[in-house]
Amino acid sequence: MGGLGLLPVLNLVALGFFDVRWAEGQSTWSFVGTTHYAALTRDPLFGAAILNTVVFALGAVTGQMILGFALALLCSKATRGRVFWRAVFVLPVLIPGIVIGAMWKLLLNPEFGALAQLFELAGLTPVDWLGEPSTALFAVIMVDVWHWTPFCFLLFLAGLESLPRDVYEAATVDGASAWQELTRITLPLMWPTIAVTFVFRLVLAFKVFDEVYLLTGGGPGTATEVVSFTIYQRFFTEDRAGYGAAMAVAVIFLIFLMLAAAAAARRRVQA
Amino acid sequence: MAANRHGEMGRRTALGLGAGALASGALPRRAGAQGRMAPITIVINQSPWLDSFQRTVQLYERETGAKVDLDVNPFAGSLEKQRNSVRARQGTTDLLIMNSGWFAEMYFGGFVRPITDIDPGFRLEREVYTLGDTIFFDAEKKTMTPQGKLMSIPISPLIPLTYYRGDLYRENGIQGAPRTFAQLESNARKLHRPPRMYGIVQRGARGPHTVAYDFYPYLYGHGGSIFRNQAENDYTVTLNAPEGRTALDYYIRLAKEAGHPRTAALDQAEVIQAIVTGRGAHMITVVAAWSQMDDPQRSAVVDKIEWAPPPSIEGRPTAPGLGHWLAGVSRNVPDDRQRAAAAFLAWFQTPAAQIATAKLGGIPINAAAYRDPIAEERRFRWMKPLAEALPHAVNIYQFPEASEVIAVLELGLNRAIAGEITSVAALNDMSSQIAEIMAKNGYRTGKLEPLR
Repeated sequence: MGGLGLLPVLNLVALGFFDVRWAEGQSTWSFVGTTHYAALTRDPLFGAAILNTVVFALGAVTGQMILGFALALLCSKATRGRVFWRAVFVLPVLIPGIVIGAMWKLLLNPEFGALAQLFELAGLTPVDWLGEPSTALFAVIMVDVWHWTPFCFLLFLAGLESLPRDVYEAATVDGASAWQELTRITLPLMWPTIAVTFVFRLVLAFKVFDEVYLLTGGGPGTATEVVSFTIYQRFFTEDRAGYGAAMAVAVIFLIFLMLAAAAAARRRVQA
Repeated sequence: MAANRHGEMGRRTALGLGAGALASGALPRRAGAQGRMAPITIVINQSPWLDSFQRTVQLYERETGAKVDLDVNPFAGSLEKQRNSVRARQGTTDLLIMNSGWFAEMYFGGFVRPITDIDPGFRLEREVYTLGDTIFFDAEKKTMTPQGKLMSIPISPLIPLTYYRGDLYRENGIQGAPRTFAQLESNARKLHRPPRMYGIVQRGARGPHTVAYDFYPYLYGHGGSIFRNQAENDYTVTLNAPEGRTALDYYIRLAKEAGHPRTAALDQAEVIQAIVTGRGAHMITVVAAWSQMDDPQRSAVVDKIEWAPPPSIEGRPTAPGLGHWLAGVSRNVPDDRQRAAAAFLAWFQTPAAQIATAKLGGIPINAAAYRDPIAEERRFRWMKPLAEALPHAVNIYQFPEASEVIAVLELGLNRAIAGEITSVAALNDMSSQIAEIMAKNGYRTGKLEPLR
């Protein structure tokens, strides 16, 4: 099983050292060494994509974590309508990506979108969220926050509901305020769940593709270019399989680095 | 026909067109025996001309009894599907509908079988547009000239035309079509009343072949080019010549001062939407969108749009970039399916079939159709400007790495239009990258001194 899991990755790594060309219906693989990796450093799209992806991943995941945690706290304390609110909060994560793209593209349209109409009602000039380089990445982050906050919400809610009740009862007896309960009991006890959720979401956010593809196509300019979209273009649209593979390997390496950094940080906190 | 999108042509219309085509006697004799032909699958993209093509295929099926399946995909998806099919041991699609941006990849890769190898009796109709001779290929010399073999038949001779609001021209006392860039700019400014009416709507978004295709008429109409002389194998990059700079500065100025505020984010569908909803006075877009203009179900500007060849600078002819579609037969499908695909092409290229396709909303590939009385009808008023512009159409790419160059243009042009970088930086940067691509692939190339 391990071999089967690794085979595609090994094939990808190998492909990154070759140039693939087609003639007379046959493919020819030429060994090019580290040429593709060297070219990565000069690729203007790749540089912009890495930067945007980091901003996107950190921005979106931070938003999802804060919102997800707040909603989970509210829901765990709610005495009425818990099932209803839980269903409402979970809804976005159940909607297919393609529908989310269509829905938000309509919503954010500066001419006939609902948001533009709200702005007009308020006497404000509608903003072209997806068409302006200064707002496009922010808009995509907002859509991702909307889409994936329920995922964090569910994990946090499960974590909160499994916390020992007796600790809270003791804190109440000792006269702890709600803020003290949150900062001295809930957050420390929830730390493992928060860390796992953060790392999990960060890795997934680093791989974002569908929202960018559907909402902006990486534009305007390079404003929303992300690494998965760059790989798609180089590998598929331009048919540069070797170069695209090298780019994919570089991204996998970056994700591993990120995971290692997260693990090291976790060890330091635990120590 | 089993198509996965769009509606059926009315039975009466089909019978009428079929009867007309048969009565003209122009259909090839082999079409009568198509009932015995193997069924074929055509892989095709979803374009404004898809509906008319589907109806033309239905007509073929009704006339011949042949069976044709259409595999409809988005633009980029169509290319990927074709690559997957032609690179397999046995292909799944018989007829490849190839765009001007990737047909060379299919020729050079050996994925398309010459039509005359499949059917030695196949004759190219005399008046079929050869569109920069891109239907021929000499596999040894790697050139596209009539000395090569017949590789494909045009399916849609797409080039951009200027669409303009004739009613607004009359109301504002503007005389004649915008033939020069100066006229286009002046007229667009006169009619620019944002946000109710934009002087021009341009397709400036980044895509598979979006802003680059929109920019070609501006570039070549200003006397610029991407390469010095492809026909002579001189791939020196000339994009950042002064003509290129003038063209890009003009494009950006038009967008900023008389265009849509979202130009950098508009794709073809949105551009057409702006025009049919009556919020644009001009667009330079593929002729295929004509059928949407006069369709009362889709358009608020019925009978208000007029057409002209794309503008150029004074003293130069119009220079629309070819964005045509060619149909080639896949080499890795069984012989009987190859023969059936060739038979469809033999039928499709005839004047009768092409007049029928025009009546169904398509763009004829046979010049004879443009002399037919239908070209005088008001609803086909785009035919004369198209016939005038087609001989000047420019074949932008004659090499298989075109998709790499297009990707560079898409990014650089979009960044310049979005204001992320200056036009000079964009042109210099794109030129360097294109020269690098050409050098890497072994072409004789070079680049100009950077613009300052």
